[in-house]
Amino acid sequence: MNYPFWEIPILGSGWVIGIIAIFHVMISQFAVGGGLYLPMAERKALAMKDPEMRAAWLKQIAKHSKFFLLLTGVFGTVSGVGIWFAIGLTHPEATSTLIHNFVFGWAMEWVFFLVELATVAVYYYTWDRIDEKLHLTVGWVYAGASAATLIIINGILAFMLTPGDTWISVAGTGQEASKFWNAFFNPTYWPSLLLRTCVCLSLAAVWALITSSQIDGDKEPALKTSLVQWSVKWLVPSFVAMPFLMIWYYFMVPASQQALLTLGIDTVNAGTFSTVTRMALVIIITSATIIGVAYFLAYRSPRDFNLSHALAVLLLALMATGAGEYSREMLRKPYVIGRWMYSNGVRVPYVSRINQQGYLKDSLWVYNNTSSYSRGEAIFRGECGSCHTMDGYRPIRQLLSGRDSENIRSFIVMLHDYKPDMPYRKFMPPMVGTTQDVSDLAGYLNDQVNPHK
Amino acid sequence: MSMKSVTGSVYEWVDERLGISELAAFARHKQVPVHSQSFWYYWGGISLFLFLVQCFTGVLLLVYYRPGAEAYESVRQITFTMHFGWLIRSAHSWSANLMMFSILVHMFSVFFMRAYRQPREFGWLSGMALLGLAAVFGFSGYLLPMDELSYFATKVGLEIPTAIPWIGPLVANMLRGGPEVSEFTVQRFFALHVVVLPALFIPLLGFHLWLVQRHGNALPPSVEALPAEQRKSIPFFPNFLRKDLAMWIVALNILALLASVFPWSLGKAYDPLAPAPMGIHPEWYFMSPFEMLKLLGMIPWLQGEAGEIAGILLFTLGIVLWLLIPFYDTRKASGQKARAAHYFGLIAIFALLSTTIIGYLAIR
Repeated sequence: MNYPFWEIPILGSGWVIGIIAIFHVMISQFAVGGGLYLPMAERKALAMKDPEMRAAWLKQIAKHSKFFLLLTGVFGTVSGVGIWFAIGLTHPEATSTLIHNFVFGWAMEWVFFLVELATVAVYYYTWDRIDEKLHLTVGWVYAGASAATLIIINGILAFMLTPGDTWISVAGTGQEASKFWNAFFNPTYWPSLLLRTCVCLSLAAVWALITSSQIDGDKEPALKTSLVQWSVKWLVPSFVAMPFLMIWYYFMVPASQQALLTLGIDTVNAGTFSTVTRMALVIIITSATIIGVAYFLAYRSPRDFNLSHALAVLLLALMATGAGEYSREMLRKPYVIGRWMYSNGVRVPYVSRINQQGYLKDSLWVYNNTSSYSRGEAIFRGECGSCHTMDGYRPIRQLLSGRDSENIRSFIVMLHDYKPDMPYRKFMPPMVGTTQDVSDLAGYLNDQVNPHK
Repeated sequence: MSMKSVTGSVYEWVDERLGISELAAFARHKQVPVHSQSFWYYWGGISLFLFLVQCFTGVLLLVYYRPGAEAYESVRQITFTMHFGWLIRSAHSWSANLMMFSILVHMFSVFFMRAYRQPREFGWLSGMALLGLAAVFGFSGYLLPMDELSYFATKVGLEIPTAIPWIGPLVANMLRGGPEVSEFTVQRFFALHVVVLPALFIPLLGFHLWLVQRHGNALPPSVEALPAEQRKSIPFFPNFLRKDLAMWIVALNILALLASVFPWSLGKAYDPLAPAPMGIHPEWYFMSPFEMLKLLGMIPWLQGEAGEIAGILLFTLGIVLWLLIPFYDTRKASGQKARAAHYFGLIAIFALLSTTIIGYLAIR
């Protein structure tokens, strides 16, 4: 509406955010968990009585911190900035709403982020150069700053799923920022924060296993055994708490969103939005496997634990994290901001106005007096393009194949009428616009699906 | 009485009757070689695991599948209306494909390690028979949903044996239950898939595993040439078994991921009167033989009916040569014959891959 649409063929614009965001989350959550792992490991090493073991641990932690600095400082920061670029281009309306509400939150986050970047560099470059206690303190400052970034961003992410009644009551009045804290500490804030904390601790363990797997078990058996076993213990909080936290999270999500999780139990039929269920299954099986593999291969036989085992655990962890983030994004459907903005950027209270004035009224870059086909194309991009492509991801041409022009039209009318019992209402926004808009869109889609008829 | 002493006495009671401790002692003493190519040892175990998945999911599908005229409808219900029916069906189909893949990897690793040599000839032959049966499992299972693609692919597949004089049409008609693929064919393929093939496969698998136990893991020639003190090994129990189980878990995860992200869908119901849809092709593991026969038929002096027979004979000769490798590559040291066998293996891989690729390109 207010912004031109950024069209990405085949992949779809949603996946541009998805790929960057999933990549970022895998690293940034490691930055938080690993940020705590480093000073905890250093503290443990400093307290060791055996000087040889103490030195060996410290040497290994220093090595791990180099890997940590490179991974989080380079890939984490670059992908974080990438998210801003991507969401600004693909979802300008939602990004604008978030900035207007959470500019103060993001300002806080960036302060902590700067502290993070500075301290992690100081931490790595001052090994053996400053007093041990001071070095450890730098590690604690890093851990605190990185935890703070999670505490803040979690509020914004959870808000998008469950903005809460208080914020919704002022939404659209210009007073939204006055309810900042209500929006921030929204219904899914705490379960989400604790869930993410567990994921952070797990990722700390998984990445630590990567570096400790490379210690030669025959040459340094005691070091490898103690480090691998200690790292595996970081998985315990997740193992114990995750199932309960997931149940808690599930009950804090609105019933309409809960229902999305069950859509894929019965069917895999195209257009039934069954992926969330399937992704949830992937999370469960990969998480359970990580625990099994970590216990039997790492904890029980740490000396034989090699890089390929560690990479297998990492791969499983990345699959679980990726599937988790994907499911969380999908759970928001049909909204991008719960109850306030549909996933195609249309604000919920604006629907009736757009239905009277027409969808392209505010789209100043589209010639309103252009052909029906062009208007249909512009409406398709704006209203459908956030989730669908023509031939790639959720392909319209395939989803509508077999329908004739009348059938396509009645399908669009059904989406426009948006009756309470319409099955697509569970995960699709309404088609908004005038009767002319409906005809333009239906005509355009028919030309794509049945080009020779 | 403490919990420990209760489990101890239960164990003693069972052990006295079944001799578990002897088995455990045997497993502990059994050694598995460790060397740079040990990775290939896991593929037999992975194939076995995937077969177990096949059995488990197959039994669950059996609860709802109805062969004959209702075949398509029952698979439609399993895929689109029953709780997690799609998951069971997808896991069954994906594990079938993954099993074929892992059996092929297992076969080639055995071939290149020359693990078929004396005294393991029966291991090689039984393994090849298991591969053959697995392929028939695949062919018979592919038809069972009775959708458009499976119907026409089976129709084309069953036309191949008709080229063999006298017995060819007879065998094809017997499998089809008539001159055309129909609901009688599904009934027959179903009986083959769930009764005949398991009855052959399971005892043969037992024999194959018994041979593996009896002769142990074969060493590749390069490791065999090393003096005994330089060869490393680990106990089968628990060390190797633990790694083997870890590989099973990895396989399970890959299977779960494929079944969840790419669930097996179902095409339109078959219509014998409709023209064959575009892109009819055999499953990937049949693509190479299918394409080879097609390419042989394009050789000028192999055209016509006589050519078809010559093609099939040539193809059969290749398989027989492959099967009989333990009997003509017999030398222990890697000499001239071993090198010839090595090249034979490389040519086989090249032929399989290239004809498969050509086959898929031809569809496009």
